Amino acid sequence: MPKEKLCVLLGGAGNQDGAAMNDRDWVQSAREGDEEAFAQLVRRHSGGLHRAVARILADDAEAWDIVQMAFMRAWQRLDRYDPRYSFATWLYRIGTNLAIDLLRSRGSRERAHKAGTEHRLRLVGKGEGANARVDSLEADGILRQLVEVLTPQQRSAFVLREMEGLETAEVAEVLGCTATTVRNHIFQARKALRQELKRRFPEYLPVSERG
Amino acid sequence: MSCDEYRGMLDPYLDESLEEEPRRDFRRHLRECASCRQWAVASEPSLFFALAGQGKADPARVEACAEAVTAGIRQARLARRMEGRRRPWLAAAAALVVVVGGGLTWRMTHGGGEALPAPEMEARTEAAARSAPPTVEVDMTGQDVRVYQFATDEDADTAVYFVVNPAMEL
Repeated sequence: MPKEKLCVLLGGAGNQDGAAMNDRDWVQSAREGDEEAFAQLVRRHSGGLHRAVARILADDAEAWDIVQMAFMRAWQRLDRYDPRYSFATWLYRIGTNLAIDLLRSRGSRERAHKAGTEHRLRLVGKGEGANARVDSLEADGILRQLVEVLTPQQRSAFVLREMEGLETAEVAEVLGCTATTVRNHIFQARKALRQELKRRFPEYLPVSERG
Repeated sequence: MSCDEYRGMLDPYLDESLEEEPRRDFRRHLRECASCRQWAVASEPSLFFALAGQGKADPARVEACAEAVTAGIRQARLARRMEGRRRPWLAAAAALVVVVGGGLTWRMTHGGGEALPAPEMEARTEAAARSAPPTVEVDMTGQDVRVYQFATDEDADTAVYFVVNPAMEL
């Protein structure tokens, strides 16, 4: 299946049914050379794409670079986009692939980055406990330290479905794999995160499991 | 559905056997029900991430991204246009090489130096020997390309100007 050929029908990433029509209009105008129409697509989708990519990369600044690259690539390939399908899912596919490529090229740089932020984030999590209200910033901060135990595919599947709320079929389209593979990635990711939480953030475990 | 029924969905949710619709319902309930959320995260700590909120992006950062992408598109378009003009540019450059080569040959044969004049050259008049060197002016209107070459007897060097952007100061 070609990379840009998506099988997820209208609705798209983030369940933006109402926005799908407008997306198609903007895409059509952009195809005719309207830069402002494409800028509207950027304004509409860059926030969500950034949040997902930042969680996959565990790096906020690099995520903005990836988002810009994803939109530039989308512009260059607009003629390959099939407007019967969700623009958001197509865009997430481009952005996620760029993020995965970056993860694979990072190497030891990522481990050094994580070591430098561990102490501060430990203080953020200390004393909150598993019963505290789940806070986005807190969860993102801890996830940044734990995602290194996941493969790029596991990270992407877990973030897109469990954190961003995409459906399994959408994640499969984004990652170019089957729904079964997505479920397997998430199952393995959850298992690895549980173990890593137990090792590094026992305060988030039930009292009976803190050991 | 009652909270107990939702709590009964935790295991199938975790072992990935839950269908999409009940999965969505389960997640929605956990977001809305603090009691079940606390129970679920206590039972499975990795749900801590799954139930994290969806923070909004900074509007200024989003606008900056839109502007950067638009600027990138314009730059890419300009690069494509310049790419299209490369061929006449190369043609002009090739013509320039021919002209400069011709000019140097002319200087060798007409302009003195150590070059030996051919016998028929001796018959040329002094005025002819001092005739103006070749001057080439190419102005490709609309292509943003101008080429000038000047050489005179007073100048020891040949001056060549090759201007891609006519607005550029020489």
